[in-house]
Amino acid sequence: MKGKMDKLGEKLKGKEIRIPVDLTVGVVFFLFAVVVMLLMPSQVAVSERDVVNGRAFPELLMWLMMACCAGLVIKEIVKIVRKQPLEYKTINLLVELKALIIIAILIITYVLCRVTDLFVVGAVFCALAFLIYFRCKKPLYYVITVGLAVGIWAAFRFLLNVRF
Amino acid sequence: MKKSIRRLCLVLALVMVMSFATATSAFAADTWTVTCPWAPDGVASLVSQKAASLSTEYSKDITLVAEAIKGDAATVNTWVLDNEANDPSLVFVGEGLLSITATMDPAKLQFGYEDFVFVENLYSSVFVLSADAKLEIENIEDLQAYVADAEEITVATNGATGSEAFLAAALFGSMGAGDALKLVPYQSAAEAAQAVSRGETDFAVSHQSQILETYNQGGVTVVCAFDEGAIENGPFAGIEGVGQYGYPYFRNRCFIMARAGTDEATVAALKALYDDILADEEVVEWLHDTMLLEVDTMTVEDVEAHVENVTNIVNEYIDIVQPA
Amino acid sequence: MLQHIIPASGLLFTLQNILWINIGVFIGAVFAAIPGLTVILCVILFLPVTYSMSAIPGMMFLLGIYCAGGYGGSVSAILINTPGTPHAAATMLDGHPLSKAGRTKAALKIALYASTFGGIFSALALLFLGPQVAKLAAQLGTPECFMVCVFGLTIIAGVSGKSMVRGIIAACLGLLISCIGSDPMTSYDRFTFGVNRLYLGLDLAVCLIGLFALVEIVSRAEQKPGELHMDTKKMHDNGAITKEEYKRMARPTIMGSLIGVLVGIIPGTGASEASWFSYSQAKSMSKHPEEFGHGSVEGVAAAESANNAVTGATLIPLLTLGIPGDGTVAIMLSALMINGLNPGLSLFTTQGDIMYAIMLGLILVNIFMLLQGKILTPIFAKVVSIPQEILTPIIVIFCFAGAYSVNKNYFDVCVALVFCVLAWILRKLDMPPVPILLGLVLGKMTETNFRRALLISNGSPKIFVSSVYCWIFIGLIVLAVGTILRGKIKDRKAKAAPPKEE
Repeated sequence: MKGKMDKLGEKLKGKEIRIPVDLTVGVVFFLFAVVVMLLMPSQVAVSERDVVNGRAFPELLMWLMMACCAGLVIKEIVKIVRKQPLEYKTINLLVELKALIIIAILIITYVLCRVTDLFVVGAVFCALAFLIYFRCKKPLYYVITVGLAVGIWAAFRFLLNVRF
Repeated sequence: MKKSIRRLCLVLALVMVMSFATATSAFAADTWTVTCPWAPDGVASLVSQKAASLSTEYSKDITLVAEAIKGDAATVNTWVLDNEANDPSLVFVGEGLLSITATMDPAKLQFGYEDFVFVENLYSSVFVLSADAKLEIENIEDLQAYVADAEEITVATNGATGSEAFLAAALFGSMGAGDALKLVPYQSAAEAAQAVSRGETDFAVSHQSQILETYNQGGVTVVCAFDEGAIENGPFAGIEGVGQYGYPYFRNRCFIMARAGTDEATVAALKALYDDILADEEVVEWLHDTMLLEVDTMTVEDVEAHVENVTNIVNEYIDIVQPA
Repeated sequence: MLQHIIPASGLLFTLQNILWINIGVFIGAVFAAIPGLTVILCVILFLPVTYSMSAIPGMMFLLGIYCAGGYGGSVSAILINTPGTPHAAATMLDGHPLSKAGRTKAALKIALYASTFGGIFSALALLFLGPQVAKLAAQLGTPECFMVCVFGLTIIAGVSGKSMVRGIIAACLGLLISCIGSDPMTSYDRFTFGVNRLYLGLDLAVCLIGLFALVEIVSRAEQKPGELHMDTKKMHDNGAITKEEYKRMARPTIMGSLIGVLVGIIPGTGASEASWFSYSQAKSMSKHPEEFGHGSVEGVAAAESANNAVTGATLIPLLTLGIPGDGTVAIMLSALMINGLNPGLSLFTTQGDIMYAIMLGLILVNIFMLLQGKILTPIFAKVVSIPQEILTPIIVIFCFAGAYSVNKNYFDVCVALVFCVLAWILRKLDMPPVPILLGLVLGKMTETNFRRALLISNGSPKIFVSSVYCWIFIGLIVLAVGTILRGKIKDRKAKAAPPKEE
């Protein structure tokens, strides 16, 4: 297992994606603002008697967001036309895979807590999962971390009366 | 490193011992958790804490533990889902949930009155209408004269569709000034009280305790009470009740509920405990003098009548509070 | 006043009170230092302890938590780049870079000294100017509060990092997120998508856990295996602060304290707003603005003095008008009421000794915070030497427990996770998270005051220029925008100019 992971790591280590930051931000958030504007009538009810209704503020924000995005996109297009360098962000696939694993640990911890309705189960899983993620080989660290996980739950449950 | 690990182990052991000790003591008695679905600094939560702190004095079998989980309908929804008949858990509901939300936005509620069994009413609060001192409105007759000439009446309320908003709508609506009424919602009762005292609005509706300080400083006059008769005790004694003039009103109440199906004997024991606590001289005095509330023990019939009365008012004046 | 001081001192200086102050200070500092656990949560959880106490020890205990929590939040911000509480986010911008530069103890000490100064400054303001300041604050109505918010939004320019446009987009996102939930002006649901829990809106503390704490955990993915253990032996961190640094700290600390007091007396605002106002002001007045965000001692001092100066100021409207200055103080009010004390000016006549004992007690709380802080600083500083294998899951567990405890519901844990993923995506797009936080802090207040003001004026915008206070805030906004524009022009000129030859 460890060998396979190392191999995969080695494979992904050099793989990188470069994204033009401003152009991506401009396009993504422009689309986001458009979607919010389209959702507005179904998500925000208003009354005719409102002096300033509940849509006014979010609409104002989305117009501002769209204007900023348009500005970013136009600036980047001008740069492309003038053949000026764009600002790029490099995304390393190995880093993203590791991030996905961490996010998965967090989500599983949450699901375990919710399904069992026992926070301590999720807490112990979280402790063990991170120790394994960091490839920890020291048994003492396992004892300490799991012990602390149980201790934190106990302190909240019995001292602070948070029932979970 | 070894030293810090040893220290960590020591802390852990200490936490475990403390947790175990507390856990042992916590489970010693028959503990009933009382969930208040409103802010921990609110009136209901405070009175609940006070009652809980006295429960061991009045009962050997039942210990009340008060907790406040802000969330209104969402908290009560969760409570109903998580609890079954005879579970040692109680929850507060008031006319806000049973009459206002149930009428205006029933989709928010995953429960009905039938999901609960009534234990006791924790307190009763009479709302008052205060006016900007510059308007020189001292009583209901002054108010009627003012309303007759006013083109616009602004009233500060805590929240947009709470009890305060409906009381204002009911009073001015029944005076024939529903169209002239403009409700100005604030984030808290204290903010609403300040708004009327600096002339931002003409009137405010609030609990008596929430307007007391502004009144003491001369910023507002207290015009009337939303009750059948005049206020009898406290700093606002003698203030007329709108009921004397035939205007609609209701009091703010806080019902302690158990899950439907809970044994009658258990409910009776809980009711008896609350009745004992609410009869305690110290509690009565504290409710009167500090919170400006009244002890008002009720029966199931009283509760149903209260809910029906508020629902009728909500149905009648909903167009003023939340126009389509 | 003087006739109350001696009997008040007698009531205050008892062994019981000193003990409760110290317990409160310790709990507050440690609790707020843990990511995910906020001061307000700490006060809620420990409030029942005070119900069996009389008013003074009860208030001393809660004030201990409240004040020390102001400082405690900065500890994790400095140590692990994760603000323990929302108001410590500004401290994080410079505190953590200082720590990374091997000056952890120094950063913690700067935060402690600035916090203590701010705390004592506001306690003195409460003691000597309370009623006068409260009357002034009571004059600030809806349009004035809106102006404060607009002024607050000008800070976005200073915390946007490389690109102001991206900062504005991020702020718009934060402001939009603050719209989720029940519309405060009509009670209609907005952007709830049928999810019942969403109509309560999103809790700031929960969002903060996702935006800053959990995303910092995900960022462990960027660490190489060798970076898991910090070599603290090489750091030689003696915690010394130079004379020059003390001198540089002085102005932002004094200004920060003043800003903290002014912001704190306005009900509805709080330590988060104050720390950002102060940070932004310190940056614009500094001779070394380029150091901000890279470990500026002025940045740490400005943010910390302001957020602790709020503590005394929020008590001003509470004790004199019965209006809680912020959420935490609102909960502390119950410790007074349960003892039969209904705060307000009249209480100064009927129970003057108790009121002055509480006000004097606030000074004492800050002194004990300094003493305990000095003892705790070297212990806190050791956190950076805890192996990541142990520290990482422990932070996650605390974050989850904290998020759950806010409303005692797993829904909030889910919200924190969503914000974590959002923050990670935004990080990939070089979008700054701080403007999102600012949007969340100021969003509801900005919108509510804007709409309420127009409701009162029947839609006339003249209401925003209807008082002297409005004009004062307009002046401040113009000044802030002018400073931003001047800075941008300077930057552009500096970029355009050919490099100087040496």
